[in-house]
Amino acid sequence: MTQPLVINQLYKQFGDKTAVNGISLDVNEGEIYGLLGGNGAGKTTTMRMVLGIIYPDGGRIEYHGKGYNAELQQGMGYLPEERGLYPKIKVSDQIKYLGQLRGMKAKDADESLKYWLNRFGVPEYYDKKIEELSKGNQQKMGFIAAVVHRPKILILDEAFSGLDPVNVELLKETVRELRDEGTSILFSTHRMEHVEELCQRITILHKSNPVVQGDIREIKKRYPREQVVLHTTGPVHGLENLAGITKVDQVERGYLLHIADVAAARSALQLAMQQTDVEHFEIMEPTLNQIFIQEVGESNE
Amino acid sequence: MNKLKSVIGFTFANKVKNRAFLVTTIIFIVIISILVNLPYLIQLFSGDDKKAESTHIGLIVGNQTEIATQLEKYAAQPEAGFTIKKYANSASPDVKKDIEDKKISGYVEFKDTTVGDFPVVTFVKKGDGQDTALLAKLQSALQIVKTQIITKGSLNDTQIAALNQPVDLDAERYTGSANSPGSDEGKGKQNFANYLFVSLLILIFWMTILTTGNMISSEVTSEKSSRIMEILITSVSPLTQMFGKIIGMFLIGLLQISIFIAVGILNALLPYNRTALADYDINLSQLDLSVLFYGLLFYVMGYLLYATLYAAVGSMVSRTEDLGQAVMPLTMINMASFYIGSFSASNPNTMLVKIASYVPFTSPVSMLLRIGLGEVSALEIAMSLLILAVSIFFFGWLSAKIYRTGVLLYGKRPSWKEIRKAMQAYKI
Repeated sequence: MTQPLVINQLYKQFGDKTAVNGISLDVNEGEIYGLLGGNGAGKTTTMRMVLGIIYPDGGRIEYHGKGYNAELQQGMGYLPEERGLYPKIKVSDQIKYLGQLRGMKAKDADESLKYWLNRFGVPEYYDKKIEELSKGNQQKMGFIAAVVHRPKILILDEAFSGLDPVNVELLKETVRELRDEGTSILFSTHRMEHVEELCQRITILHKSNPVVQGDIREIKKRYPREQVVLHTTGPVHGLENLAGITKVDQVERGYLLHIADVAAARSALQLAMQQTDVEHFEIMEPTLNQIFIQEVGESNE
Repeated sequence: MNKLKSVIGFTFANKVKNRAFLVTTIIFIVIISILVNLPYLIQLFSGDDKKAESTHIGLIVGNQTEIATQLEKYAAQPEAGFTIKKYANSASPDVKKDIEDKKISGYVEFKDTTVGDFPVVTFVKKGDGQDTALLAKLQSALQIVKTQIITKGSLNDTQIAALNQPVDLDAERYTGSANSPGSDEGKGKQNFANYLFVSLLILIFWMTILTTGNMISSEVTSEKSSRIMEILITSVSPLTQMFGKIIGMFLIGLLQISIFIAVGILNALLPYNRTALADYDINLSQLDLSVLFYGLLFYVMGYLLYATLYAAVGSMVSRTEDLGQAVMPLTMINMASFYIGSFSASNPNTMLVKIASYVPFTSPVSMLLRIGLGEVSALEIAMSLLILAVSIFFFGWLSAKIYRTGVLLYGKRPSWKEIRKAMQAYKI
């Protein structure tokens, strides 16, 4: 079984500037692959190359084992970062049109659109013009436009930016549902928490270069666990004197301990239990945010 | 192919439903209807005037009884346009009273001096301004009276009528050799009807190219600025997109043209208009329909040439506000082609028109003018069409490249150098 999307040593240069420098990744069927990076890191360029809008200068992209061809357009969906639909045209007209451009019959596109409008609980938007909708709802319509034809490969560029928490959840749920149906999703964002919730594997791009790549859990293991959360009912004294603890921060309901080595966590817990009741104790994994800042921050220097 | 159809259908449907399009079309329908009805309307209004002028004028007989009798006799005819009330002399209080009461609008008086056996005549009128129409009628009436008096019965009425009939001077164009295509129709070519017909065709075709061309570029720009372009470009190849739009807009143009022509013809066929037009010597059967055929052919080709370029320009601009400036050069060329055509309409065989009829951007108008009103050989038409076709392919190819690049470039309007660089970067 060939993978839906394999990118191998992709390279792209705009004039003197290297936009993407040797990125390789592969997306399985039913996987959400996270593409992270700051502004101008090369995420959108990578996605555009995957979409066949621009041609790579080097490297190769394979879709189900084959190179780019025109039929692929029907199996791909794209939600661009700067989303857009025709402002003055009815939702039904334009999404049916976009579905037809993706090779659907008008009738099928209509049914699919109605399904999605119901799915998002907004069937009344069928006859509305885009400019009459709020920004968040316009974005939902953009999402529908990207998935109306049930693509095999879905590319979401900053899919959740500008949405309220309720809509973010709704969209996340939908994305997971599509994943469970077997869609391969390439997902870009700079919001780390979304990635941690949705993706198994990620690539962090920085200044056109992939800096971190792989399974999120394994990536995290590579980074030392440096923080311990300790919530207690009463005060704990002497934490800062324990070996291996570099810093103690007093927080609202307890302490945040910075540790040099995981063994120190154990002695800290013991000390706390001797003095008072422990409500919460956790050795924190490094968040992607921290990893990102660490990686990107370092190479910035 | 299906996608092309979808793009065409979408472009067409959205423009037809567009309110601005409906409004402009209706406005043009009204304008065309008024234009076609103009001869009738003019007749209608001048008809009213005639009735008003039929009111009396006074005639001071004085010692010119013979002239007065003849004039009175003439005025008794219904087509004279005025009736006469006689007075003995201008001092008579009746004259003054009747003018004050508006029973007569003025009076005719004979002076003692004579020019060639006929007294000098004055028309005295109350109030400002001279009624030239009435004066012309009086003039011709007096002319007839004068003829009658001078010939003094040696000629009968028919002879006098024949004498007064103005000489019919017709201008005809000399057409050289017998086998030039213009020679058969050459006789009718310079008539007013054909002149009007060709000018109208040029105006309609040119207007349509200008408006649909501008619509194409503004559509492309708005797709870019609303960022839907990125979705479109991943669904359909840019070429399909561009030509779908061009064909869709072409159908819009064709629809508009057919509506305009149909409105024009329908109006002209209205019974009252037919007589009115006939009075102005406009007869639909004089029209050379091959001009319509060539006109359409040149319209289609001219449209393709301009449309691809308008699409290319539209693709380079990211914001609708910048579009006007960007299409300016194209609009200028388009305007120039129209002005060369319309200023040369009365003289279609000048060197300027001849040259312009081979230049691809001006040939659609200039060649139509030459075919319709001037002299042109079949070979010349074919040459012009060939040049036009070649340039369509060249500019179509160039525009497709620019379009492919332009739609991805955002920010300020790119310079040519930047576009060339981008083309290389995108490997187009």
